[in-house]
Amino acid sequence: MLLQDARISQIIFLSLFLFLGLSTRDWTLRPDLILVAIASCLLTQWLLSCFVPFVKSKIRSYQIPKLGVKEVKSRVQLFELTCLRSAAITALGLCLLLRCNDYTTMAIAGSLAIASKFLFRHKNKHFFNPANFGIIAALILTQDAWVSPGQWGTDWWYLLLFFCTGGTILKQVGRWDTSIAFLVAYTLLEGLRNYWLGWSWDVLQHELMSGSLLLFAFFMLTDPRSIPNATISRIIWAVAIAFLTFILRNQFYLSTAVFWALFFLSPLTIWLDTIWSAPKFEWLKTINKRLPNQSFTTS
Amino acid sequence: MKLFRILTTFLVTIATLFSLALPAEAFCGFYVAKADTDLYNQASQVAIARDGDRTILTMANDYQGDVQDFALVVPVPVILTEDRVRVGDPKIMQRLDAFSAPRLVEYFDENPCNPRPEYLQRGGTRGAPAPQAALEESEDSTLGVTVEASFSVGEYDILILSATESSGLETWLINNGYKIPPGAKELLQPYIRQDMKFFVAKVNLAEYKQAGYEFLRPLMMAYESPKFMLPIRLGMTNAKQDQDLIVYLLSPQGQTELTNYRTVQVPSNVEIPEFVKNEFGDFYKSMFQTVYEREGKKVAFLEYAWNMQTCDPCAAEPLSPEELEQAGVFWLQPGQRPNVFISRLHVRYTRDKFPEDLRFQTTANKQNFQGRYVIRHPYKGEMNCPAAEPYQQALQQRQEQEVQTLANLTRWDIQTIRDKANLSQVQTTPWWRNIWN
Repeated sequence: MLLQDARISQIIFLSLFLFLGLSTRDWTLRPDLILVAIASCLLTQWLLSCFVPFVKSKIRSYQIPKLGVKEVKSRVQLFELTCLRSAAITALGLCLLLRCNDYTTMAIAGSLAIASKFLFRHKNKHFFNPANFGIIAALILTQDAWVSPGQWGTDWWYLLLFFCTGGTILKQVGRWDTSIAFLVAYTLLEGLRNYWLGWSWDVLQHELMSGSLLLFAFFMLTDPRSIPNATISRIIWAVAIAFLTFILRNQFYLSTAVFWALFFLSPLTIWLDTIWSAPKFEWLKTINKRLPNQSFTTS
Repeated sequence: MKLFRILTTFLVTIATLFSLALPAEAFCGFYVAKADTDLYNQASQVAIARDGDRTILTMANDYQGDVQDFALVVPVPVILTEDRVRVGDPKIMQRLDAFSAPRLVEYFDENPCNPRPEYLQRGGTRGAPAPQAALEESEDSTLGVTVEASFSVGEYDILILSATESSGLETWLINNGYKIPPGAKELLQPYIRQDMKFFVAKVNLAEYKQAGYEFLRPLMMAYESPKFMLPIRLGMTNAKQDQDLIVYLLSPQGQTELTNYRTVQVPSNVEIPEFVKNEFGDFYKSMFQTVYEREGKKVAFLEYAWNMQTCDPCAAEPLSPEELEQAGVFWLQPGQRPNVFISRLHVRYTRDKFPEDLRFQTTANKQNFQGRYVIRHPYKGEMNCPAAEPYQQALQQRQEQEVQTLANLTRWDIQTIRDKANLSQVQTTPWWRNIWN
């Protein structure tokens, strides 16, 4: 079943958000930039996950007979399309969140987002959220990128939409704990601050109903491949991100606080995974289990 | 020969517009009366020139009450010393206003009997060349209030206060002759806890009378702070209805937008009936109210976003480097072309829909935007050619579309619009004229 792969649902939902955003939230995102984001993500993914291993395997299979060993048939395929699903999710994430004027900025964000999965690995697991890495890379490396945290507004309708669609995905991948831990911790911190400052409660409500915050909590924070494997690690990790977001937003007045917090704390995944080990997440676990000669690595 | 010859383009400036249009009562702080006068803040205009943490903020108020009753309390992020505060030229706000005002442009149809029949192509107006012209320290330890600075600038006496308790600050203000609006105490506390200071200004009557000013001039302040925000909560304490705030945000990078509310472009580039020329102020007022309600009264509207080197069409001449400096732009280099991007935000807010203060961010977004409304005058001369009839049919369709657009944008009664629009009737040529003319 295609929909057994949560990535397909995620692609459908993110495309829906993009369509809704473009049609009802009057964004400044241009269709050509969407194409650049998608092209740069998919191309980088194909180059690094299919083309490079394919070339390597060819070189190896050329060298092996020379060494007098019997040739083994290469299992690396040049066109393996399943891996492009994650890249499509990253591309859609960038389209939803990142804004820029030039193609090059979006291309830098897209290609570095995907490249980060191959560059920053520990025990065969990447620890940066690709879309988040792309956004931060564009913010640091160019003068042309920005994120518009206000553009989703604070409508109940969007809150429900993100909650339901996010819930569907998280149920499939089993990462509810992360979103909940983040939102509870962040609500508590903002609630305490609100109480201490003496603002009325609608100020807090307005802050927490920000569509961008919910989109982040349900769709970026919970990438099962890059976040810690064990439940306890994920909760600690999510609370740490909530805490850092709170500080960056209220002490340093960063409007992009959530993205910086996730970026800075992503490497913590390695450390948390060494303390609490649990099976690494695989997108096609249920399908792959039925296949012979497949095993899952545990970190 | 051009299809649509532009005979004139003109503009009704928003200054006129808002003086007619907006029942505005707003300010980022609150006015406090020294006498028992019911005071309401009037339309506020704020200009913020910002690069990095450096900010020059200009507050222009059109305070309507007796000058001797004027007093103003605004939370500010840092202690302001005397040299960081000055009085601005009121004309500069008018210039910013006029330059960035929503604009009406008009085009005149050509005689359809001239050789080029492209007038039937829809969207011809936008394909036409852009219009060229335009009309267009002492401490009171018991109360916890510290006077951090006290000085006079122009006609204003200014105090910078810091406080530890809102009740202490309230008592201090009352003891010193300021009348605090009810409910202000609760609203002062969050600013005190955020370690913000209070900028308190009142008018030095002797100075004011001696200089012979007719109205209060804008106050300008320069500070460095990562906080890029405007406090609006205090301004809502003595307001009974929705309030209007126009913010001119000047940046060397690009557009400035809100981070905790949506920033939405006002409807623009729409064709509306001819008669609106005489009531553009009413049109804009109704249109703004309609779109404000459609968006749930909880968004800020972008009315203009443009690099200030140019404009097209120009509502007013671009500001000269000297004028930009008067508006607080501090990053200009002598001999270089001014790099100033202006964003004009129009925020109409009420207490229930805008619970938080406004938070801003500068972006690299350099897309130009303007509120632009188009009138196309039909050709009214004699037309004796086969092209006349299709022209008139197309014209009739166009005018009907304009009527519907106007009704949709303003919620005006469509029959009234039709009556006012005085729609052209298609004059069909009798078939025999083809041979017997």
